[in-house]
This record gives sequence, structure tokens and C-alpha cells, in this order.
Amino acid sequence: MRRRQRWTWLLSVGALVVGFALLAAACGSKSSNANKNTNTAGTQGTGGGTAQNKPFANFRIAYDTGIDFLDPGLSYTVEGWAIMWNVYLPLVGYKHVNGPDGATIVPYLAKSLPTVSADGKTYSLTLRKGLKYSDGTPVKASDFRASIERDYKVDSPGVGFFSNIVGADAFSKTKKGHITGITTNDSTGAITIKLTQPQGDFQNILGTTFAALIPAATPAKDQSTHPAPSTGPYMIQSYKPNRSAVVVRNPQWKSNKGTGITEVPNGNPDKMTFDILGDPGVALTRTLKGQDDYDFQQPPPDRLGTLQSKYSNQTKVYTPANTYYFFMNTRMKPFNDVRVRQAVNYAINRQALVRIYGGLANPTENILPPTYPQYQKHTLYPYNLKKAKQLIAQAGVKGMSLTVWNHDRGQDPKATAYLTDVLNSLGFKAKEKIINSSVYWTTIGNQATKAQIGFADWFQDYPHPLDWFDVLLNGTRITQTHNNNYSNFDDKAINAKIAALKKQTKLSSSVNDQWKALDKQVMQQAAWAPFINRQFVDTFNSDIDLGCYINHVLYQFDFATICHK
Amino acid sequence: MAQPAAETEFTLDTAAELAAEESAAVIRGRSPWYLAWRRLRRNYVAFAFLGLFVLIVAACLLAPFYAHHVAHTGPNNTHVLDQITVHGKKLDVVSKGGVLGGKLVASTPVGPQWFAAGGKYMLGADTLGRDIAVRLLYGGRTSLFVGIVSSLICVVAATILALLAGFYGGWLDFVITRFFDLFYAFPVILLGIALGAALAINGINWGPIKVHSGNILIPTLIISYVLIPYVGRPLRGQVLSLRQKEFVEAAIAQGAGPLRIMFTELLPNVASSILVFFTLIIANNIVLEAALSFLGAGVQPPTASWGTLISDAQSLIVTRPWFAVMPGIAIVLTVLALNVFGDGLRDALDPRAKVKVEH
Repeated sequence: MRRRQRWTWLLSVGALVVGFALLAAACGSKSSNANKNTNTAGTQGTGGGTAQNKPFANFRIAYDTGIDFLDPGLSYTVEGWAIMWNVYLPLVGYKHVNGPDGATIVPYLAKSLPTVSADGKTYSLTLRKGLKYSDGTPVKASDFRASIERDYKVDSPGVGFFSNIVGADAFSKTKKGHITGITTNDSTGAITIKLTQPQGDFQNILGTTFAALIPAATPAKDQSTHPAPSTGPYMIQSYKPNRSAVVVRNPQWKSNKGTGITEVPNGNPDKMTFDILGDPGVALTRTLKGQDDYDFQQPPPDRLGTLQSKYSNQTKVYTPANTYYFFMNTRMKPFNDVRVRQAVNYAINRQALVRIYGGLANPTENILPPTYPQYQKHTLYPYNLKKAKQLIAQAGVKGMSLTVWNHDRGQDPKATAYLTDVLNSLGFKAKEKIINSSVYWTTIGNQATKAQIGFADWFQDYPHPLDWFDVLLNGTRITQTHNNNYSNFDDKAINAKIAALKKQTKLSSSVNDQWKALDKQVMQQAAWAPFINRQFVDTFNSDIDLGCYINHVLYQFDFATICHK
Repeated sequence: MAQPAAETEFTLDTAAELAAEESAAVIRGRSPWYLAWRRLRRNYVAFAFLGLFVLIVAACLLAPFYAHHVAHTGPNNTHVLDQITVHGKKLDVVSKGGVLGGKLVASTPVGPQWFAAGGKYMLGADTLGRDIAVRLLYGGRTSLFVGIVSSLICVVAATILALLAGFYGGWLDFVITRFFDLFYAFPVILLGIALGAALAINGINWGPIKVHSGNILIPTLIISYVLIPYVGRPLRGQVLSLRQKEFVEAAIAQGAGPLRIMFTELLPNVASSILVFFTLIIANNIVLEAALSFLGAGVQPPTASWGTLISDAQSLIVTRPWFAVMPGIAIVLTVLALNVFGDGLRDALDPRAKVKVEH
């Protein structure tokens, strides 16, 4: 899923006219908190601190504008999933703990983990008895099938995950009847899923938000502002796009928890308020001044020194599994020529991009991030502008017009400003196209847009190489809309390799070696121009007890487990 | 020739007084334009601010010269990893930041170097290592272009509509006036943002007219479009009033056609107002461009304008506040110069007129 950082809109036009008002604002916010302790790098401490049981009426979060939807069938951003993790529960999910153990799959709404048939094609689960949605209606096994079918009906970006289920492809065409590969029994709670072929990451897929259960009667249209009833410890009370979201306790949670859901914590705050703010500087100031408890956004790079000197005991630095890259549309000129894609890889100086992100990043040329056991660093494209120019000359595309796409938040637009300058230095006539972040992914994911080149990032949905190669680079999964393969990369050999590796149910060392080789193979084709693995800073106000801080391997900071000092 | 005591009171400088200055032997008829010029040239404050505006325009026009010969970089050229030599020491254009030695370190671009780096980064660099001084000058070109061209389009369109509405009256006047009312109903900024946001994505594709979404013509057209009623409506009032005058009736009696009456009888009589509107609305449009660009609905990156420079400076507001203040000062000086000169022009052309741009 994609990380959405920040957005630069600030509705303060008066400041423009005089300019001086901005200076006044800059000088007006100094905190007296001057703790010199350092607590920056590394977050892999233990969660579940001592103050968990203290009442916490309202956890206020300075959020960014990156929420695409608050509908489990539609959302595909970190912002959306981070909120819904504690709201809409799938049959299985992940442990709410720090560190690598967070990738352990545990039963949520299912009684136990699925039993898999010997041929790896049939998954059987049983729904816990007595579960209720937040509106009091009982949870039924058939709701699982209805939720997956609804994903297809709402044209969810997650439908590609379920295409291996028997009958899913047929259902995707008609959207009538049922997916034949999913059978359910409401009286026993039995759920059986039949796959067309074994799939190594299917258990992970069952743990995604796309597979979370919502009532079968939920309308097949975006429910973000009319949130569907939930099964988790919280429910979404309200959502006003670009303004706020409010999450409160689910009145049915106690009863649901009583069915034996041990791996989902009750959560400490009674309420969580997400103040959606456009400016990261404002978000940081609000947090440090105590108007919000947590700053979801990234602090401006020039304020890191202040954070270190005055607020270091209120910050956490972490590196989630992510890759930032420039996509290059292989269906369009000039990027249908591998030499041009390679030239871009040679021409970008990844160290420069690290500095553009304030130094909170590591350069990369890999698809997979370094946290993966399948990662093997390769250096196919050391910075070499001369060679890049030679490749462009060989391809005969000098002087072509290019449009470089990006959204308008955080440091990301600066990355494409840099790329545009690089492309112009290669002899192209490149121009930027910066659009609102709320529509960016759907715009570039629509084939009608014909986006040539632009910014993209990826944060793992689940810790498996398939979440990168299959979702982002498999040519057989290219779609007309909600396409995640922005490069439209479609290499038969690589598609076949992905398909073969998909059948591997265990990630043995030999399988991992194959993934390593595939990473290199993809980059030899220069499907992307990856540039950094980014680090992040979580900032809290001084009232928060960071002993409770849990940074999950997938969902990052777990809002529900936080507590007061 | 002795100067009359009231000479500095340019607004009271009537034709009779001016005539009294001349010796009886050389009394000549003076056109209203000549009289206006006589009044204007005695308004030293207006002239001083006109000089300031000319200086700003000249500086902006010289941007390529400055970029090439002094700063040695273009407005969009990035220099993230470059170093400069200041007093014999190497200095990163953008300092290293992130987690260094277990501590968070801020990444900050160099501040104003004035002449310490041989003309490079005279006003500092942004986070991409782009020279702020170069971008400020290029940004001025953009802002002035948008301000002047949009004013020109706006005034021409508003004048035509005002002449049509005022001369013909009836249903045409009704339609044009309702068109003005429709635009009056929306705050200028909101209308500009709405149009700017829509066109920033799609550009303009109206049949044969195609404008790329990043083209500077888009904010120019938007600004001229949203301000038409603010110029057109007062002009229409003037035309409506002039339409009843005897000289118009005389022209009609002589068989003059509508076009001739509009352009040879009515237009010259509202020309002074148009000129004043044009001057004042340039200032207004420069501010509007800055506002729209600041909000992301105007000039698109990486093109520099004073508005985008202030927007870019937001992320450096704590450590490099001058980056936001400098384009702010440029806007203030330009707007002040145009407004003071515009006021002087208004006073000179028609001391009784109350022409001003309000929205």
C-alpha cells in the first residue's frame, strides 16, 4: 500500500500578501520543553508499557490528507489501513507487537488458523460463534464471501489478491451470483476457500483489510462517510474527508472478545480523533504544543535538529519495509525502450535523493527493501550521467516531451522536481504534473491517464516478496483502472517466474535465492528506478508514555495501544 | 515664468489655472490628455513609485543575464550535492541530515551568501539546491507576466462587455449584467482555486484550443476571467450614463452606426477609467497569482513565481524564514508601486473619479 505524506495547502492567503506574517508565525512557536535525552534511532523496544490501564479519553492525532477511503474494500493507503486495523477485523491477522514477531499470523475472527489441504488448494476456517457487528447484528460466515464479492463490485484495488480463488475470474466479469470457490455455512461458521493453484501468500491475503468482514447487506459503493459496522475494538463514528475522522469504542467488542479473540488488544484510548492537516509544520507544532498527542506526518527536515535538542524523548525513528521509486510506463514512448529506462537509473543520483528527504533514507536500487531475507543488494546502476546520455543518444529519443507525475504532499514533489531536472539534463523536454494527493493513485492507476513517468512508493501489505513482485510487477495483473503496476511492466519470463514462485508455500533458502535473482532480473529490465528506503519519525507530545509504543511491522505505529504517562 | 503657489496641489490643477500660467500671447487649447500629463508629472511620489516598478521589471528582465553570468545556474537546476567555497571553506549547498551518530540532524540549505560565494547563492538555496536569487528574478518574470497579461485580457473583455451592455441595454444588458452578478456571487479566491485546481489536472481542451496543464496561460486566463465583472460593471455604469449624453444623440442623428458610436464616441470617454483600472488591476492580479500559486492552483512547479517561492519556503520557515519573506517583499513593493502610481494616474486623469478595484 502507498504511504501518503503531507500536503502543502495552507488556507492562509493573507500571509502571502505581506510575507512578514510568515516570519511572525515562525518565531511564535517555541516550546519550553528542553529535555536533552536522545531517543532517536531504533524502535524495536517492547510494547505494552505500565500505564496501559490509565483512562485515556481521547487520543488526538495530527493526521495527513492521505486517507483515500475509510471503506475496507476500497482503501489502499497506510493512512486508511492504520485506522481500520483496529476497526474491521479479517478472519486472521497479525500480532499487535513490536519487531519481526508482528508478522506472525494469528486467528482474529476465525477460531484458528486455516487448515490447508495437502495439495495446497483448499483453505478451511471456522468463524467464532457469537460475534456481532458494532450495530448488534450477528456476524455470519456468509459475510466473508459477501465481503470478497463486494470488493469486486466496488472495483476494489485489492481484487487481484483473490483472483486465484475458483470462480473469482468468472464473478469479476458478471458480478452476479457467487464466487463458486468460496462456500460458507452460517449455522456452523464453516468457510472453505478453493484455489485454482497453491499460493504461498494466501494466508497473508486473508489477513488484509480487503478480506475483513462487513455485513453482507453493505451497499456496493464507497461507505467512507457512512462507515460500515465493525467487528474490532473500535468503530468509525464519523469521517469528514480532508477535515477529521473520529473512532470510538465498539459497544460489541467485549462480547466479541469473549469469543476468544486474544490477539487483538482492547485498546487504551476511548476515542481517537484524527485531525486531518495539510501542513507538516503545523502538525508538528500542534503536537509539541499539546493540541494533538501524536504527529502522523513527517517533520520538515529543517526541524529535526530542534526535535533532537528539545524533544528527543518524544520521538521515535523507524524504518518500515518500503521502497520509493520512479515508475516508467513501458507501454509508452520513450520508456518502451529498455535503454531509456536504464538511462534514467544511471542518471539519478540516489545520494541526492536521500538528501532531498532530509537524510532520513537509504539509497536503493532494489525492488525489495533490506528488511526482507530475500534482499540482496545490487548495484547495476551507479550514478553515471555520461553513460545515461549515451543510452539516450542510442535510443534516439532526445528532445521528446515528457510529463512527470506526482502528488502534492511532503517531500515527494521535490523528488520529481529533481527527476525533471535530471530528465532535462538528458535532453528531454520534461514538465511536472502535480495533482492533489487524494486522486493521485487512482489517476496514475487509470490506463486512460497514460502517465509516462512519475513518483510511486510501496509499503508492504504483508511480509512476502509476492506483495512486491506479484502486485506491482506482474504483467498478468495489469488492470484498466486501479492498476498497481504503474510501469505496465509485462515481461513473459518474469511473469512466469512469479507464477512459479507463487506456488511455493514455504520460503526456503533456495526459494529466497530465486527471489533475489528475480529482483536483479527485474532491475536489469529497469522496470522502475528505485531510489530510497525511507526512514520515518514519530513525534508525540510530552504527556504520552512511549513505554506503550508499538511500531508494527506492517501497520507501523499502533494507535490503539498508546497510553498516558 | 513664475510658478503659481498651488502648483504642488496637482489634483486641483484645473484647465483655467494652467491656462493662466501661459502668457496671453500664447494661449492655446489643451487636450484632456495633455492636462492629465501636466498633473501627473507634478506628482513626484507617483513618479517615484513608477520608477520603482520599472526597476523591478528591469531586474526581472535581466534574470537570464544574472543566472548565466553571476549565479551560473538556471532557475530549475538542482544542486543538492554541490559544495560552494566560502572564505576558503567548503560548504554543502544542502547540508547532510537524518540520523547521524544516533542523533537527528537537520538538513538545511545554505542561507544568503551575498557576495561570499562569488555571486552564487546570494540569497541562499532551497532544499533542492536551487539558487533563490535566480528563482526570485525568474519568479518575478512569471508573476509580472501573469499580472500584466491577465489585466490586459480582463480589461479588454470587460470593456467590450461594458460597451455592449451600456450601449444596447435591454436584454443584452440584462444577460451581461447577470453574468457579472454570477461572478460577483463567488469570492474571487475560491473561484480561482476551483478553476485552477480543475485546469491544473486537465489543462484546456476546448476544441482547437489546447493548453497544457502546466502552461502559464492557465493561471493567466483564470485570473483575467474571474475579475472581468469587477472592471466591467463600473465601466458599464459609465457607458450607460454617457449613452444619454447629447454628443451620442448627435452622433446617432448624423447616422453613425453602433460600432462607430461605441468605439469613437463612448470608448474615448471611458479611456481614462480603463487606463486607471488597468494599472490598479495589475497589482491586484499579481497578488491573486501569488495566492493561487501558494495554494497550488496557479503556476505549476517547477516554474518559479513569487507565489510558488513562498509556498516552497513553507518547509523552511523555521530555519530560513527569509526565503518566504523575500518574495513577500517583492510582491509588496510591486503592488505598492503600482497602486501608488495608479492612484496618481487616477488623480491626474480625473480628480473627481473614484475608480478602484474592490472584491
